[in-house]
Amino acid sequence: MSYDSHHGDHHDHPSPFGPHDWSHGAPHNSWAPIMMAFGSSIFLLGFTKVFTQTWEGDAWSYAINSAQFGLLIAGLAIFTAGLYVFWRQDWSFDGIEFEPKSVGTPFRGIDIRKVAIWMFLMSEMMVFSSLFSTYLRYRTGIDNCEALHAAGTLTDGTVCWLPASYFIAEGGWHQETAHAALKFMPDTLIPGAINTFALIVSSYTIVLALKTAKDRSLSDSERNRKVGKYLLTTLLLATLFLIFKLVEWFVGFELGDHDHPLFYSPSLLADGFTIHASDYTYQVCNEWHDHHCAEGQLETYTIDIRMAASTFYVTTGTHGVHVFGGMVALVYMVIKAYRGGYTPDNAVSIEYFGLYWHFVDLVWVLVFPAFYLY
Amino acid sequence: MGEHGHHTILGFDRYAFNFWVLMIFTAIEVVAVALTFSMEGTVSMNTVVFILVAVGVVKGVGIAAIFMHLQGDPDSRVLTATALFPVFFIVIMVLFIGLTHPDAADTLPDWCRPGFYNLE
Repeated sequence: MSYDSHHGDHHDHPSPFGPHDWSHGAPHNSWAPIMMAFGSSIFLLGFTKVFTQTWEGDAWSYAINSAQFGLLIAGLAIFTAGLYVFWRQDWSFDGIEFEPKSVGTPFRGIDIRKVAIWMFLMSEMMVFSSLFSTYLRYRTGIDNCEALHAAGTLTDGTVCWLPASYFIAEGGWHQETAHAALKFMPDTLIPGAINTFALIVSSYTIVLALKTAKDRSLSDSERNRKVGKYLLTTLLLATLFLIFKLVEWFVGFELGDHDHPLFYSPSLLADGFTIHASDYTYQVCNEWHDHHCAEGQLETYTIDIRMAASTFYVTTGTHGVHVFGGMVALVYMVIKAYRGGYTPDNAVSIEYFGLYWHFVDLVWVLVFPAFYLY
Repeated sequence: MGEHGHHTILGFDRYAFNFWVLMIFTAIEVVAVALTFSMEGTVSMNTVVFILVAVGVVKGVGIAAIFMHLQGDPDSRVLTATALFPVFFIVIMVLFIGLTHPDAADTLPDWCRPGFYNLE
């Protein structure tokens, strides 16, 4: 371990696992990133060992291999330990006494931690770019099921792309047969639309938290209360986002009378949009009579839509994991705020967390139209 | 999000202004799609795609420039350049998508196909 000393003191010998003594300057060579990277690798390796699929001649077989759970848990434990070291060394640092600055071009004079969060966001950008390029490649390379049907070339067993928007923005087959009262938009779009607004509002509340933390006109108690309130609101909106995500994927919702519900939105799972939907039942009605398909007008096909489903769940799931990560940090920040941890001279952690949170919002700006609407 | 960014836009607090722009543009996005699928024929799919891309650009710029302070701070320019650096790789990825698309390969001119120059 070494320091960029602002006191010219290079004789301190800190523990490699922290906590850092920031009074000696900016520390280098933390073990935390190595531990977290190693933990992530083990966790992801375990993920592929636990959830398996095998081809059995005529169909895919899916299984959960519980014997490999140890690998998952070990990876998670190493990652958590790395996170703990990271927290001990850096998160607990307030930056009041000494805020280390970058010395190299092109970031000279900018806070090192600000540069670091931008570097982190760049790597995150690459992660989501790879997911988006995968989506674009498959979306452009695999024929659209609805287009194949319109062209009269859809047959049983066809591998085609049935986008998530078919189930969400169009409402899927169930929307056609439901008696829901809302006619303006498919009910299945409601959770995603609410989530979009929730993320935008949460981006604003985090900005308000920072503005309030820097407001010198407020008394300490009033500032603590307001900053805590804004951060708590952000946390609640993030929680709402994940709850609606789970509702959309697994639960679905129905309000009002079962035969004539006010809202009716089946889950994607109930609709059959799953990562192993190799024999999805695709139905098309050529003539409707009061939410019922006229006799002899129903066409049914068994098609393989796994690629569309996998791409959707991996991308939106990765985004959801980022929201969850933000929630973990927000819990810590809310407690810190109510304890008076943020003052006009010490609000950088809200600022840096805000950069991450806005990035999560920015990704959703792309995910929502690409996966939910189009 | 920085220390120097508290300005106004059209007389409004810039953060509040940006927030309402994002809310309104999201509403436009959702309404356009909802109209397309609930009242077929009102908005064509091409129009929807145009609206989605245009709204996405406006929202993305609003979040990055104002909420993330890539505009207005002393360090905004260098951080914007930093943020745009991965775009180079993203362009490469998108190019590969185009080049590996079956249609793209099928329509390549002869001079661009293996064996044309008899180099084997």
